[in-house]
Amino acid sequence: MPKYLIFLGCVIPYRLSSYEISARKVLEKLDVELVEMPTFNCCGYPMDAINHELMLTLAARNLCVAEKENLNILALCNGCFCSLNETNKMLKEDKKLREEVNGHLKAIGMEFKGTIEVKHLAHVLAEDVGFDKIKDAVKKPLTNLSVAQHSGCHILRPAKYVGHGDDPENPTLLKNLIRLTGAQCLDYMDESACCGNPIIGVNEEVPFQMAKEKLDHIRAVKAQALITACPFCHMMFDMNQPRIERAFNEKFGIPVLHYPQLLGLAMGFSPDELGLGELRVKPTELLNQIQGGKS
Amino acid sequence: MAEGEIRIGVYVCHCGLNIAGSVDCKEVAKYAATLPHVVLAKDNRYTCSDQGQEMIKKDIKEHRLNRVVVASCSPRLHEPTFRKTCEDAGLNKYLFEMANIREQCSWVHLYDRKAATEKAKDLVKMAVAKAALLQPAEEIEVPITREALVIGGGVAGIQAALDLADTGYKVYLVEKEPSIGGMMARIDKTFPTMDCSICILAPKMSDVGHHPNIELLTNSEVVEVKGYIGNFHVKVLKKPRYVKSDCTACGECAKVCPVIAPNEFDAGLAIRHAIYTPFAQAVPSTYIIDMNRCLNKDGVIVCDKCIKACERQAIDFDMKPETIELKVGTIIVAIGADVFDPSVLPNYGYGKYSNVITSLEFERLINAGGPSGGHLIRPSDMQIPQRVAFIQCVGSRSDRNGRLYCSNVCCMNTIKDSLLIKEHWPETEIYVFYVDIRAYGKGFEDLYKRAKKEGVIFIRGLPAEIIEDRKTHNLWLIGENTLQNELYKVNVDMVILSVGLEPRKESEIIQRLLTLSKTQDGFFMEAHPKLRPVDAATGGIFFAGCAEAPKDIKDSVTQASAAAARAGILMAKGKVTVEAITPISYADKCKACGLCTKVCPYNAITLNKELKRIEVIEAACGGCGTCAAECPFDALTQNHFTDEQILAQIDAVTEYDAEKKIVAFCCNWCAYAGADFAGVSRMQYPSNVRIIRTMCSGRVAPKFIERAFAKGAAAVLVAGCHPGDCHYINANYHTKRRVERFWEKMEKNGLNKERLQLLWASAAEGERFASKIREMQTIVEKVSREEIESSKKVFEKALGGS
Amino acid sequence: MSEAQEYVPSVIKAEELNPKFKYEMSKKHGAEKIMLCFQCGTCTADCPISRFSDFYRPRKIARMMQLGLKDRLLSDEALWLCSSCFTCVDHCPQGVEIAGIVRVLRNLSVKENRIMPLVYRELASNLLKGGYVYEIVESRHKKRAELGLPPLPKPNLEEIAKIFEITGSSKMLENVKTFEKVKS
Repeated sequence: MPKYLIFLGCVIPYRLSSYEISARKVLEKLDVELVEMPTFNCCGYPMDAINHELMLTLAARNLCVAEKENLNILALCNGCFCSLNETNKMLKEDKKLREEVNGHLKAIGMEFKGTIEVKHLAHVLAEDVGFDKIKDAVKKPLTNLSVAQHSGCHILRPAKYVGHGDDPENPTLLKNLIRLTGAQCLDYMDESACCGNPIIGVNEEVPFQMAKEKLDHIRAVKAQALITACPFCHMMFDMNQPRIERAFNEKFGIPVLHYPQLLGLAMGFSPDELGLGELRVKPTELLNQIQGGKS
Repeated sequence: MAEGEIRIGVYVCHCGLNIAGSVDCKEVAKYAATLPHVVLAKDNRYTCSDQGQEMIKKDIKEHRLNRVVVASCSPRLHEPTFRKTCEDAGLNKYLFEMANIREQCSWVHLYDRKAATEKAKDLVKMAVAKAALLQPAEEIEVPITREALVIGGGVAGIQAALDLADTGYKVYLVEKEPSIGGMMARIDKTFPTMDCSICILAPKMSDVGHHPNIELLTNSEVVEVKGYIGNFHVKVLKKPRYVKSDCTACGECAKVCPVIAPNEFDAGLAIRHAIYTPFAQAVPSTYIIDMNRCLNKDGVIVCDKCIKACERQAIDFDMKPETIELKVGTIIVAIGADVFDPSVLPNYGYGKYSNVITSLEFERLINAGGPSGGHLIRPSDMQIPQRVAFIQCVGSRSDRNGRLYCSNVCCMNTIKDSLLIKEHWPETEIYVFYVDIRAYGKGFEDLYKRAKKEGVIFIRGLPAEIIEDRKTHNLWLIGENTLQNELYKVNVDMVILSVGLEPRKESEIIQRLLTLSKTQDGFFMEAHPKLRPVDAATGGIFFAGCAEAPKDIKDSVTQASAAAARAGILMAKGKVTVEAITPISYADKCKACGLCTKVCPYNAITLNKELKRIEVIEAACGGCGTCAAECPFDALTQNHFTDEQILAQIDAVTEYDAEKKIVAFCCNWCAYAGADFAGVSRMQYPSNVRIIRTMCSGRVAPKFIERAFAKGAAAVLVAGCHPGDCHYINANYHTKRRVERFWEKMEKNGLNKERLQLLWASAAEGERFASKIREMQTIVEKVSREEIESSKKVFEKALGGS
Repeated sequence: MSEAQEYVPSVIKAEELNPKFKYEMSKKHGAEKIMLCFQCGTCTADCPISRFSDFYRPRKIARMMQLGLKDRLLSDEALWLCSSCFTCVDHCPQGVEIAGIVRVLRNLSVKENRIMPLVYRELASNLLKGGYVYEIVESRHKKRAELGLPPLPKPNLEEIAKIFEITGSSKMLENVKTFEKVKS
């Protein structure tokens, strides 16, 4: 039975409980055991712009905690996955960098040894649980549903660190996971383009235009929902969707679901159990259709 | 020469500042004078100059020198020069030794004069120690077969074959396609002169077909090469054409053939029948049946339309593959290059968008003999495009997509192509997206200027992606105009991807068959990039055309003539001397166990069971020395690389500060050349490594490694060619086996096996060599006094017999 | 584009060029390959930000680093528009990590007390105060319990502060000038 240290990050506790709730529900049912981090700090990602060494050391501290537990990390957030995984790989490969960071860690009595791995939720589902087991767990296939996916940059790029075999030019990992639920996953233009959220703190026009263009492309293929694997991207498309609609005077009304919410529905969990009520864009029509399709 | 007192002269070369810049040459010479048997030591600016050589000759006579050591560049560069100097002065050339203090010292320790000087002293000491033990030797002569093999029938192979044949040598030209002509036959016009490509090539092709000295083997592949310079035994597989040479190429057969298939010559843009001739000017013009397409399989005739149509009764379904055996003295490799396949680039949509084509497809479209009769039409609607874009560097200059190098021909080819469009349809808007335009050759800049004058628009900055308008099939190119710092979005009707050149897939096979080396870019490596640009490192083999690197027609032809001349020189002499580095056996020690006969890659040693002794066939010996390394009884050694000489070098290295040093054994062809390349590229690495050259890593006997450890060396490196690339067929597999066994031995005795390292590095992998030394330096730093002592003890026995 | 032309003075003065800058930068993790950039423009062409901004041009940033236009680079707020999507890193034909270069410059700007967006000061101060870059208010903790979620893992604030100190981050954040928004 796969056992992981779950790494929540900052955005999820701050705003997006529904991602956490649905992920825990689904993983429990799929026999993935989750252990809480005994102590936590931000993965470091937001600090990279200020000081790369700070980011590396913050990330490495979390890695050391996991090493002590002798458990691999499961990250729900792409940003956390990116900084933890990249730091882990860089420190394993680059002796000089490792010595530098270990120099810092010494001050808090820790040492990076390079004994664990970091995975994103999607990797754990695809690699540890496996497609067959997920397929078996799907009790109510969402056969009449057509959705689109947004993997998010940091489980795709930079390709040399991400690993796990997905192709950033033509991502299939999340698509294949979506297809297991019985839903159709539509191709659309520029699927692996950035959502824009990382710079929303310094500028709103550019990220809004980026997200709007993505929503345009998603609407063009008539997707009934957008499925994300990253809380940060989710915020951009769900929480900010009404603001984007106002800014461009357009109506999208595209519900945005966290992947484990979609999978959870197919596995027979109720919308409430999966925290669907938390979504800003209400998936009413979608749920009606799913319920309708059931009868 | 009567052996009396050994009198060694040492010459330390400054090589201008190349060596003197980081090595104190005067001090090295002063030090050399103190070494045993050295009667004279000098330093001078350029030892290889006429004056330098004259001085050595004078000294040999005046000072009765009977050994000479030159400390300068790599023996791979100037050993032949100085050997000749010695011979001119009446000294046997095997009494000369070199210390490589440039490529393997001054250039790799540019910023540490003290350490470089100390290392140079050590290298000279090693050379002197070996020199004292050198013996004169006579080389045997081997006759050279005055026939040549040319592999590849593109313009380079054609030119090389014609030149050799015109000189009077018999030439076998092997081409895997049904016709010769290669890439040039498929191109419409040539740059910068805008000649019709096939019009200038066809006469040469026909000359090949008619030449009394050329035997043309098309539809054929080289499958086996044995032997050595002057005496290659080659097997060629000639696949059946199913049409006899009685064929008059009337074409009646193709008219009635019911099968159609894409025509490869036209890049699949046109069709042909199962019985066909690749193109109108094909040589031989004899038709051929494509058995993968023909309805008649395995000799069962279900369709006899072609047989009935052929008046000459030239069709023969019973033809079988033939293996032809050739004996040739020289081989010219002219296998050309492949073009990059852009379908791996998702952002350009080749293969998905019909109006995105490659430059080679363009050549067929614009060619009057091509599928569209020379009308440039776009595939989606067969209309003449109004707006055309060329994208440069597709598959070139990228470590992400394709190859790191510049493909040399694409810039000029695009400029030529743009002018061809302008010539026929002057109103066409043409955009060329580029990074740098390389118009470096004779007449190139003129052509570039002409294109600009005609209104071709050059935009600096490659498109990030191509987006197709699904209705019109027009294409949007999105990118940055880097000269204006602005983004562009350009709409065109057709895009031509200017694809680069890459090594032929089959080059791997040829590499293996002929034991050739490749440079990092995957093309064949020349013996010297400046001074022997068409010679392979393996004797008797030469390169022509794109096999060596991407090049245009003119350069291919030039190189082909050069290769023909080089091969001709060898054959004109009619004989070649083989280096006297063959095995010496001591009958008194030989137990006739036969181990040496088993490891010899050339089967040059036979065991005479009756007389209980081995016999060496010197002419067949390749000179790797792996037999000597295998002999458990010290009954075999290698001329010029004797056990005593190598042990003396090891002892010289380890005399002082052994516990800080790395003793490295490097094979002449790959690892030693790779270390030289690190020097040429000025890659810096720790100075505590001392390289001992052997011809093959297979020469490195376990007793050498034992001796180094017994003398207290911190670490030992054994370095050779990559498995499969060995210049002595497979001798380095024995290296691997011996090193692995040695590791076991170290482990059993409680020694850290990291102290013995095995490296495979090609002649182009300087960085690989340098980083290995850096890596080993960290190992050396960790080796403790106790560890040194314990390895000294474990291998104590190896100290005897010196 | 006229605005962009006003933004960048057309003349680069010789004294602005610092030939040593690129060597210094190439020692930094992420900017090692800066010298290899041959200005093909793939990064800008692929950049999702450049498509909507008149000022953010990754190729130009790489070029300016090569030329040693340090002051211009560090005083340009546009530097803070990169969303670190790493498309440029994946697509560069020369293997130059453009996003890494931008990050190295941002780090330098903070280190030399030039400029930094305000939001980073807020994130850092939250992190120092509570271990998370956002303030997790008490009601959130309660809500978690209601939803049946396990309590959040506790931060070790002492160690976090130590990490800030030892990486020289605390001092940096105090003195750097901040700005709120970047124009696009």
